[in-house]
Amino acid sequence: MAMRNAYIDQFPEEARVIRAALWSSFLALMIGGTLGLIQGLHRTNVLRFIPSQDYYTVLTAHGVLLVITFTIFFLVGIFTWAVTTSLDRGVKDIRFTWGWYAMMSLGTLLVGVSILGGVVDQIPMNADVLYTFYSPFQAHPAFYVGFVLFVVGTWLAGFDWFRTWWAWKKDNPDERIPLPTFMALTTMLFWYLSSIGVAISILAFLLPWSLGIIDSVNPLLTRTLFWFFGHPVVYFWLMPAYMLWYTMLPKLSGGKLFSDPLARVVFVLFLILSTPVGIHHQYLDPGIAEGFKFIAMTNTMFLLLPSLLTAFTVVASMEHGARQRGGEGYLSWLKALPWRDPAFTGMALAGLMFAAGGFSGMINAGLSINYLVHNSWWVVGHFHLTVGTAVALTFMAASYWFIPQLTGKEIWNRSLGLVQVVLWFIGMTFMSNAMHRAGLFGIPRRTAEPQYEGFSFDPAVGTVAEIDAQVALGAALLTLSVYLFITNMVLTTIGGSTSDAIPDNTYAGTLSGPEDSPAIIDNLKLWTSIAVVLVIIAYSLPLASIIDAGGLFGPGIDPWKPSVVVDPSLVLESVRGVMP
Amino acid sequence: MNIHTYEKTWLAVAMVLIVGFIATITYGAVGPGIAMIDDDGGTIDPDTINDDERFSDPGVTHVGGNEYEAAVVAQAWAYTPSEITVPANSTVTFYVTSRDVTHSYTVAGTNVNTMVVPGQVSEMTVEFDEPGEYGILCNEYCGAYHHTMEGKLNVVPEDEFDLTELSTEAPDEAQLGNQTTINTTVSNDMNYDLETTATLEIGNQTVEQDQTVEQDQTVEQDVTVPAHGSETLEFAVDTTDFGTGDHDWTVTVDGHEGSGTLTVTNATEGGDGDA
Ligand code: HEM
Ligand SMILES: [Cu+2]
Ligand SMILES: [Cu+2]
Repeated sequence: MAMRNAYIDQFPEEARVIRAALWSSFLALMIGGTLGLIQGLHRTNVLRFIPSQDYYTVLTAHGVLLVITFTIFFLVGIFTWAVTTSLDRGVKDIRFTWGWYAMMSLGTLLVGVSILGGVVDQIPMNADVLYTFYSPFQAHPAFYVGFVLFVVGTWLAGFDWFRTWWAWKKDNPDERIPLPTFMALTTMLFWYLSSIGVAISILAFLLPWSLGIIDSVNPLLTRTLFWFFGHPVVYFWLMPAYMLWYTMLPKLSGGKLFSDPLARVVFVLFLILSTPVGIHHQYLDPGIAEGFKFIAMTNTMFLLLPSLLTAFTVVASMEHGARQRGGEGYLSWLKALPWRDPAFTGMALAGLMFAAGGFSGMINAGLSINYLVHNSWWVVGHFHLTVGTAVALTFMAASYWFIPQLTGKEIWNRSLGLVQVVLWFIGMTFMSNAMHRAGLFGIPRRTAEPQYEGFSFDPAVGTVAEIDAQVALGAALLTLSVYLFITNMVLTTIGGSTSDAIPDNTYAGTLSGPEDSPAIIDNLKLWTSIAVVLVIIAYSLPLASIIDAGGLFGPGIDPWKPSVVVDPSLVLESVRGVMP
Repeated sequence: MNIHTYEKTWLAVAMVLIVGFIATITYGAVGPGIAMIDDDGGTIDPDTINDDERFSDPGVTHVGGNEYEAAVVAQAWAYTPSEITVPANSTVTFYVTSRDVTHSYTVAGTNVNTMVVPGQVSEMTVEFDEPGEYGILCNEYCGAYHHTMEGKLNVVPEDEFDLTELSTEAPDEAQLGNQTTINTTVSNDMNYDLETTATLEIGNQTVEQDQTVEQDQTVEQDVTVPAHGSETLEFAVDTTDFGTGDHDWTVTVDGHEGSGTLTVTNATEGGDGDA
């Protein structure tokens, strides 16, 4: 029998860390998905078992667990795989690797416990501030400390990959950076650049403020610093999915990546353009001049370019794979693809939904159209297609390939895996489509109740009840899909027996290799400098004018601790009290 | 660099698409229609909102022609005022600020939508063409009862619109035979003087202006309320012929009404004289 050559055979030590990271990620997905179901049922009034005030604790946890914990733990796992596999060498010191994993876990724990305090009286903490934690909401200091620990953990992870690459470069001075490593490094570079924003926001303002060291903050400033980080983080979630589409999907299709140079160009564009766009989340904010919003809009539109290029390369690579498998014709080659493989099908469906999400995203990015959809359920529909499917479904699908690599065991039930990814696609079609429609006639996001007292929503097509039913149905199918996924993963890991049939740990070859692109593409210093310059251009004036107008620490803004829950009728009294 | 022809074509198409988007959006934004929220509203210390000229008495005021201003204070979990009424065919500039956390001021299902960030004043100019009724809601999470934060916007036909407000002040009781007064304050937030007639009706008779009101009478007074000002009118009431018991009264100015009941008591019952 041939020697098995799975990842666990090549890098048993690293495989343990990656397994830990993926399991942290799956746990977050399971809890977060369950909370998503609670939300979907509560705000559509289908099934309610929490008071509406607690909805926001649930929503905070859903946001944080899914877009921070689930995505980023998966990312660090998969980037560790990418760097070690493509450089064909282990990390320098596995203790350091465990160190950053532990730091990220501790951070998650602190954040999690402080959010849980919103519903558990025994925990004297509160962080009902949603994942955007806009001041003057003030969370418990543990929330901010946890967040910082988590982010610093990712910084150290990045350092781990960089130094593995530096060591490799010493041994291979004349070689091009292998593509997966190139992708991981460029992603980390814009992550370093953009997470400075949230680091400053927390370390200079929110944390000292929550500890009572300073007594006021400038809400527009911390908000702007949040979005300095808040849009690039979107690409931070997306880049591992892109990497999987470039390096795994062509292979799973039975072919090769169409173009290595173009893949590099795409990641360079993300490095350059990810950060100077954050203000597009603030089109409706006062205190930011129109010109700055235009700059953000223009940059955002150019950021479509790498995604459009990706769409091309991914489809072209799949076609190539299909033709290698005997596919023919204009479109009938599609039939030759390996649709029974959950890893392939899940990723392909995720890519398809991303196209839809990209379309609604272009609408969001339009300055004036944004006024209609901003903070409506349309936006929630949009990002459940992007991060909630393009990323999440790609990660789940990829796990059907990775978990055998990391455990040496066959997937417990591959057919169930296929059902699971298709179920996600169907569930998300219902939920996301209904949310998009709801947003167009004004149903807001982040709101516990389906209706208001003084007016009712008026859809042009269909009814509110029908839309709510679709959201609830979609949420139920999605949650079922999450549970099927987790079940499959658990039974594979603890139940499955070690198999010799696990394929070798490889990634896709290329039709056009790195030698077809000029060496300057690999000049990370150059691209980073350009990225820094663009950030300075896009942000220095807006930040200066916000600080100039409102002061570094704001005009005496009092903290608002969300734990102070009072009866709304008392609040109305107090409103009358302060009005002259 | 070696780029496949298909890739080049796609690249070109993508660039054209992007430039096209930017052009359309730019045209849509600078063309007629809605103006962007920007930094024109300036900053404000939330503790001084009550001292600010715009927000000390928030609501709609007339600027001139068909232009109006509406000042709104947002606070968890209500807007002051919660209901806004403006005429059709008007241009209204909203000034919205927050006393506490970040809110939004959003007319549901329309592109009238702004964030309301504490420390900042959101300035937003909107054109209202047709009459209609809209819900206003807060679409930024602002605490445990965020979902209860709402308001109302009424766009009424021009001929049904005014900015006249009426408040009355009168004693509840008077002794038979004494004189008493019903004070009426009329305020006008239009940018021009309001010339109108104020009518007091007690019972069902009519008496000319400046006369003391006797039993079952209506009295009229002409009044000019200055632009953005108010005027207080006194109606003197002589209860001599009223007879004891409850007497309902109504003050009507410019279609607005204020009303109350005057109880006339016997001298021996110890009423409060000519309060
Ligand atoms: C079982 C699957 C899921 C269900 C049923 C679900 C359901 C929901 C619902 C109903 C909301 C709307 C809450 C509101 O606006 O009031 C929501 C918000 C959100 N979801 Fe999900 N979701 C799921 C999976 C995901 C995934 C996989 C992600 C990302 C990886 C995600 C990210 C988010 C985010 C970021 C929000 C917004 C949180 C906020 O407004 O602060 N969700 N989800
Ligand atoms: Cu609010
Ligand atoms: Cu709110």
